[in-house]
Parts: sequence; C-alpha cells; structure tokens
Amino acid sequence: MILAKLALGFCGTVAVAGAYTFHEGVMRVDEDHYDGRHVHVWVPAAIVPMALHVVPSRRLEHALEHAGPWLPTLRELTKELKRYPEAEFVEVQDGHQHVHIRTHQGKLLIDVTEPGETVHVACPLAMMEDIARELEAKSPAV
Amino acid sequence: MNVPAPRLTEKMALTLAASLLAAIVLLAPVAAAPASPASGSGQNGSASRNDRWLHVRVTNPGNNEETVRVNVPLELAEKVLPTINKNRLHSGKVRFDDVDCHGVDLRALVDAVRTSKDGEFVTVQSKDSDVRVAKQNGYLFVHVFEKNRPRKSQVEVKVPMKVVDALFSAGKDELDLVAALHALSTQGDTELVSVKDEGNTVRVWVDSKNVTD
Repeated sequence: MILAKLALGFCGTVAVAGAYTFHEGVMRVDEDHYDGRHVHVWVPAAIVPMALHVVPSRRLEHALEHAGPWLPTLRELTKELKRYPEAEFVEVQDGHQHVHIRTHQGKLLIDVTEPGETVHVACPLAMMEDIARELEAKSPAV
Repeated sequence: MNVPAPRLTEKMALTLAASLLAAIVLLAPVAAAPASPASGSGQNGSASRNDRWLHVRVTNPGNNEETVRVNVPLELAEKVLPTINKNRLHSGKVRFDDVDCHGVDLRALVDAVRTSKDGEFVTVQSKDSDVRVAKQNGYLFVHVFEKNRPRKSQVEVKVPMKVVDALFSAGKDELDLVAALHALSTQGDTELVSVKDEGNTVRVWVDSKNVTD
C-alpha cells in the first residue's frame, strides 16, 4: 500500500510538472540539410524564459548589445500577433523555394523550403513576448 | 460487499486524487490553448471583425510558381512601426530631405493639390507613354502607361486624400507613416496600387479579410 501511495505521489508530481511545463506549448526548430545533417530542437516554451536566468550574464550582455534596440519591436510585435492566432502573413513561392510565415494555434510558424534544405520554426507567441520582456528588463539600453 | 471503513476511505481518497490528476492533465492544455476559430481560413476569434488588412500580391501570370503574398493587419503595423528607430525611420515617421525630392517642395505640392478642386493636374501623352495625375472624389489618381518598352506596363495608383493629408501631417521633411496607416484603416475596401506588365502583376489593396483571394 505504501508503494502504491508512493507511485501515485510520484506519478501525480510528474503529471502536474508535465502539465505545467507544457501548458504553453513547445518551441520547435527542425532543420534538415541536403548533406544529411539534421537539427531538431524541441523545448517546452515555459522553461525558455526561466532559462534566461541561468545564462551567463557576460553572454547575455553581448547578445543584448545587438538585440537591445529591437526588443521593444519584438515585444510589441508578439503582443499584437497574439491577436491573430490564425493568420497568413507572408508566402513567397519562387520555383522550388518556398517561404511561409503564419500563425497557427497561438504559435508563430516559419517554414523555409528550398532544394536540399528545409527549416521549420514554431514559437509560441506567449513565450516570445515573455522573452522580449525578460530581455528588455535586463537591457540597460532599452 | 463488506469493506472496512479505513480501506473505504483510502480507496475514496485514491480515486479522488486520481480523478483530480486526470482532470489536471486533460484540462490544462485545453485551458492554456488560445481561442482558435472553427476553421483555419476564416477570421480569427481574437482580432476584431473591423480589422483592416493591407495586402500585397505579386504574381506572374505566365508562371504560377512565382508568387508573393503579404498580408499585414494595419493595426499591427500602427503599433509596431513606432518601436522601430533605425536610419531615417523613427517613432513611426520617416525623414526625407531635398536630395530625395530633387529640389521639389513636396509639402507645397501636396498643399496645392489638397486645396484645389477635383480635376486633372497632369496629362502627358507621348508616343512612349501616357501619364495622368488627377484628383477626384477624395482620391488622388496616378496613371502611367508605358507603350514602347520591351514590355508594356501599366501603373495605377489610387490614394485617398485623407491618407495623403495624414502622411504629410508630421513636421517639415517628415512623412508620418503611422498617421497614414491610421487614416487608411478608416477607409473602405480600396485598391491602392496596381502594376501590370507582360511579366508580373502587382496589387496592393486594403480590405477586412485576413487572407488573399
């Protein structure tokens, strides 16, 4: 009986942690190259803003030097994009090259396809807004 | 069925805990998911029904594999533009100087057009091209028809005068893009630019649909 209780407690904790971790969705980056290289990154969106707290400040400052002026734009853009959870923004087709930028189910989807290389990025807009706010708070220039 | 009271309580607690967990696991993603429309193609639930969209479409009639489609909500552009401060763009306004206009006083020109009555201001008809600039029913029209290029081309621009006014409402040597977008959003469905030549067709228009046809 004790084992059953322990198992239930463990499963409950895992379930609650899992539900919390994935409640904002998943950030996905999939990259496939013609030479066989594949990059597939799936990260729960909820932990990305948290991960910013553990990034070494030296590296963060370096990134903020470049990204700082664009953070208000990113924040405002993601905030506004959240109002359009299902929309097509850009579609460019040129022969076998295809670029598609849209929102679907509250995620910004960017798909780039060309012969021998495909890139698919899916970012929850809520996560992007959180990141922009976090970085803005850390950026002295903004 | 005789079950001792402590076992019964234990079982009830276990069932309750399991039900709660199942509810959390099943309902959490649903609760967190954004409101989405029944189908993916229509207007969305969050954006207002009155949202105005600026569309740009470039097509190549001879080749269906070359197309550009851009759809931008005017309200989004109005909010985002002021946050961009780069080069000549600042706070939703863009600076220009005499060099850009080859010495033409654009503001005076616009004032003259604005205060004048409806009519044709420029009409040029030559063997190479026809050019017509006119003001009519609150719109500024520019029509250019190139006859003798390797490819014939036709350019038609139709801009509401309210948008032109808003564009030049900023200080000297500045164009107020945000004011122009705002003015544009108050207009009805409008085809702003149409360019046709033998190779490509370009259309820029405003309507309330979030997809191109």
